[in-house]
Amino acid sequence: MGKQVLFWPELFKETDKGLVLVANKCKKCGAVSFPKNELCVFCLGEEMEEVELSRKGILYSYTITRVPVDKWTAPHAIGQISIPENQLRIVAPLIMEDENDTFNIGDELEMEIAKYWDDGDNEVMGYKYRPVKKKGGK
Amino acid sequence: MREVVVLGIGQTTFGKTPEYTAIQLGVKAAKAAIKDAGIDPRELQVCYGSRVYDATQTIEDIMKNLGVTEREMHNCENACASGGTAFNLLYKDIANGVYDIGIVVGCESMTTCSKAGQLVGAAPGDLNGTMGITMPANHALTAHRMMATRGITLEDIAYPSVKNHRHGILNPYAQYRKVLTTEQVLNARMISDPITTLMCCPVSDGAAAAILCTKEYARKHTTRFIKVAASKVLTASYLPWDLDTVTRPTLTKLAYMAYEAAGIGPEGLDLIELHDAFSPEELYTYEALGLCKVGECLSFIRSGNAEIGGKHPVNPSGGLLSLGHPLGASGVRVVCEVTQHLRGEAGERQVQGAKTGMAEMVGGYLTGLGSPAVGSITILSA
Ligand SMILES: [Zn+2]
Repeated sequence: MGKQVLFWPELFKETDKGLVLVANKCKKCGAVSFPKNELCVFCLGEEMEEVELSRKGILYSYTITRVPVDKWTAPHAIGQISIPENQLRIVAPLIMEDENDTFNIGDELEMEIAKYWDDGDNEVMGYKYRPVKKKGGK
Repeated sequence: MREVVVLGIGQTTFGKTPEYTAIQLGVKAAKAAIKDAGIDPRELQVCYGSRVYDATQTIEDIMKNLGVTEREMHNCENACASGGTAFNLLYKDIANGVYDIGIVVGCESMTTCSKAGQLVGAAPGDLNGTMGITMPANHALTAHRMMATRGITLEDIAYPSVKNHRHGILNPYAQYRKVLTTEQVLNARMISDPITTLMCCPVSDGAAAAILCTKEYARKHTTRFIKVAASKVLTASYLPWDLDTVTRPTLTKLAYMAYEAAGIGPEGLDLIELHDAFSPEELYTYEALGLCKVGECLSFIRSGNAEIGGKHPVNPSGGLLSLGHPLGASGVRVVCEVTQHLRGEAGERQVQGAKTGMAEMVGGYLTGLGSPAVGSITILSA
C-alpha cells in the first residue's frame, strides 16, 4: 500500500483543523492570488501575506464531463466556486453521490481533501467540494 | 498607415483527411490563393504560417514547395486565434510600409496530430487544466450560467448548431452537409453537461491562405478591392473574482477597437464569421460583439437575425460546427469566407449585397485570465 501525496503541495497548509488551501493577499491593494503569486498582478505590489481560504463556497456554475479527460475517469464534475469570505472564485472538482447526481447554481459547498487519481502505488490527493445544502432543500 | 487589400484567397475542403499532412494541406491552400491573386508566387515578400500542434518550420516547409525561399518568414501559435493573429501580423507589415505584398497560411491536421482523439484542453501545466477543465467544460460552465441568468433553454443552446448546419449544407467546403434537428442535437451523446457531441465542432483537417497587399500593388492585378478596414488582436485581462462570466469584457473591448478603426458599428455588419466551437458560445458572442444588447441574445435569435437573409447573418459558412476546427487554419478561413461574400462569389450561401463583414476567432484558456485568453477580429469591406 502506497502513501497519499498532494497533487500540487504548495496550494496547501497543514493546520490543527487539517489541511487548508492557502493563497497570497497583497498588503497594498488587498487582491488575493490563488495559486500564490509573489507579485501582485493587479498593483505590482511585492509585499504579500499568506491567507487561509475558507472551506465554505457557493456553486457559481458546474458541468459534468461524461468522457475521460487525462487522469480523470467519467463522470467528472467540475465547479466554479465562489468563496465570498476571501473574495475569490476558483475551479475545483465536485463530489458526486452517484452517476445520476446533479448540482444547482447557488448550492452551498464545503471543501474536503479527496483522492484525485492513482500514481503507481501512491494515491494523489487534492481538494474537492461537496454540496452541504442543495439549493431548493433536497 | 497604408490601405491594405485582400488580393487572393484559397482553402481546402475541411474534413477528415489523414492521408494529407498539415504541410500538404497548407500547400494546397497557398497554391489556390496564389492562383486566385493571379501573381507569380515569387512576388511574395513576406510569409506567415499559423499552426498549433506539432508545429516546426511550418511556413518555410509550405513555401519551399511553391518556389518561394530566402524571404522573411514567421510562424505563429496563439491557440484557436492563431490564424487571426498571423493575419494581423501580415496586415501590420503591409499597413506600416515594411512590405507591399505577403501571404498568411494556416493549416492543421487534427486527425494525425499528437493530440488526436483528445478534447482540446488548457495550456499544459495549467492549474484548472490539471483539474479537468477542457474547452467544452469551460463553455458548459458558461452555458449553465446563461440558463440561470437569461432564461435560456436547452433548445436555445442547441440553436446555433441547428442553424449553422442549415447554412453548412450550402457550403462545398464544409465537412458536414446535413440538416440537424434540435432533438438530434439534444439527444446526442453528452460530452460536458449541457454540451452534447452535436454542440461541439467536429474533428477536422484543413488549411486556408490569404494574400494581402497595398492598394497600389493590387491595381496591377485587379480593379475590385476588398479592403481590410480593421485588424485587431487582444489578450484577456485578469478575471475579477465576481465577474458575470456570460459577459466577455475583453472580447467586447476588442470588437469596439475594431469598430473604431473601421469607422463602423456592429449595426453596419452584413455578415459575421465567428468562433462557434461550441453551440452556446455563439449566443454569448452575439452580446459580446454588440450585435444585440447584453442580456438580449434570446430575442436576437428568435427574430431570425443570425440566419442568412436575416439582419446580421452569423456563420453563413456553417461555422466551425459544420466545417470543423483545424485550429491553426480557422482564423484564416473566416477571412476567406467573408471575402467570398464581399466579392459576391459565395454561391448558394451568398449573403446578398454584403458590403462589410467581420471575421472573428478566439481561443485559449489560462487559469486567472478571462475567457477567451486571446481574440482576433478583422473587418473587411467591399
Ligand atoms: Zn496588489
